[in-house]
Amino acid sequence: MNPILADIYSTILPSAPYIIAAYALLWIALLVYVLMIYRGTKKATAQLMLLEEAVADQQKKAE
Amino acid sequence: MSSKTLKLPEAGQWPDKLVAPALIAGAVLSTIGFLMAFFYVAPVGGATVNGAELIGDVMVSQKMLLSQKIFYFHMPVAITSFIALGFGCYYAVRFLMTKNQRFDTCSRLCLEIALLFVVLTMITGEMWTRFEWGVWWSWEPRLTTYLILMLIVIAYFVLRSSVDEPERRATFAAVVAIIATIDVPICFMITRLIPSSIHPVVLREGGMSPEMGMCVGLCALGMMLIGFVLYRARFGQVRLTQRVDALKETLDDER
Amino acid sequence: MTDREGMRSALCKAPSTWTQYKTLLAKDLKAEFRTKDMVVSMGIYAFLVIVVFGVALSFARPGAEFLEVSGGLLWALVVFTSLLGLNRSFAKETENGCLEGLLLAPLDRGVIFLAKATSNLVFLALVEVIAVPLYWMFFSSFAAPAETGWLLVVPLVLGSIGIAGIGTMLSTITAATRGKDVMLALLFVPVIFPLLYACVSATTCALVGGDVFADGFLTSLALGAGYDVVMILASWVLYDFVVN
Repeated sequence: MNPILADIYSTILPSAPYIIAAYALLWIALLVYVLMIYRGTKKATAQLMLLEEAVADQQKKAE
Repeated sequence: MSSKTLKLPEAGQWPDKLVAPALIAGAVLSTIGFLMAFFYVAPVGGATVNGAELIGDVMVSQKMLLSQKIFYFHMPVAITSFIALGFGCYYAVRFLMTKNQRFDTCSRLCLEIALLFVVLTMITGEMWTRFEWGVWWSWEPRLTTYLILMLIVIAYFVLRSSVDEPERRATFAAVVAIIATIDVPICFMITRLIPSSIHPVVLREGGMSPEMGMCVGLCALGMMLIGFVLYRARFGQVRLTQRVDALKETLDDER
Repeated sequence: MTDREGMRSALCKAPSTWTQYKTLLAKDLKAEFRTKDMVVSMGIYAFLVIVVFGVALSFARPGAEFLEVSGGLLWALVVFTSLLGLNRSFAKETENGCLEGLLLAPLDRGVIFLAKATSNLVFLALVEVIAVPLYWMFFSSFAAPAETGWLLVVPLVLGSIGIAGIGTMLSTITAATRGKDVMLALLFVPVIFPLLYACVSATTCALVGGDVFADGFLTSLALGAGYDVVMILASWVLYDFVVN
């Protein structure tokens, strides 16, 4: 490869880790947020089931 | 006096029906944008090189920058963060007008999404700056404006956690959200308009070729849709938690 | 005079907005000048900050480059001092339960804001009148400012108005929170950033003089003035919600 071409392409390899890091971190951050939402929803649904059982118990006691 | 019943935002209303198509559209657009950024748009040149070479059918005499490709996601996440802040301000105003806690919840969640996207902006911007200029930070107008935005959003959440009374907390938070939304555009404009002859800042704007503009636009649309999806998902989760807590309280009272 | 007329004249007329404003302002100023403790402590604090700057610059060489940073350092001094003053001024109101008394009276909330902001401005101005010449005295050995140097009074006035206005609003909010001082600083610095940037630019232009002055001075001042107008208007409108 003649030296001018080498010079033109010189910044590509060194910059690759930064580019990969940028995109990877972006998607990881979004995924982390989605995971947080998912865990919150699971917790709330579990509590909802417990509450439904408690209400059913109360209704049985009232009868 | 007309009694208009106030329609409150709730999980399961019409925006939720848009979530599935929006998610698909957002993912597709972002992927197309990503591919476009790397394969379709012409690379941007950096420092000049001694001499010129014929590549493809263009005379190239500058170093080709691959790292500039980060820009095609950096700008869209920044745009999305501004839009999220705008929605947060809208809900804040509605809260101050009606004093209904539901709007406070909506406002808080919008600011959460804004914080998420600001963090994404800072990450991508950091990677870009580090490679381009070889330093971790420079007091450049764009970077400084984002830093200020991040500080204000963090201050919003610290304020929320340091006030105990719900009504007061919501009012203060709403006022701060409105002030933040007024402040950020001013920030942005002032750092651009003040001539920096003392502080020679190298603003790498140049112009955007139409392909670059289209790519950024596609990615921005994709990111906005993803932001919308995240907001509805979070809103659904928070509403569920709130209703569960309310149920718990009524059950405890009855016992 | 019929009975009805007599009754009407005996009924009090609500004082006009200007009278309300004057009374509130006079109350704040009189309360402060009785003890002078806030202005004095702000002044001492400003002096100490100058001393710290002096130590920080002990290894800097005198030269024209100093003028480029001296404007910024002056504004750092103003920001730190005003943070102290804003914290104190609202603490006094809540300590004595004065604020509740004010709210019981049928006053327009906007007037309360303007009066408080004006009194904060007066205190800040007093401290600046002492601190700025002191600053110059201590750092005159580094470099002599250009002939346009005295024009830095203009951005000082502009900046102080903005700081007092938005600072009063923010200190009202943070007075009711748990981490009062830090919370104020956390909110204040990002919000005041555009004004700070414009004023530092204008001050540096004035100090450096020459071409730089011609380029940047008026633009920076115009932008700073724009910020002031927008932010003080916003604070005035929103103050109603905050004080309740």
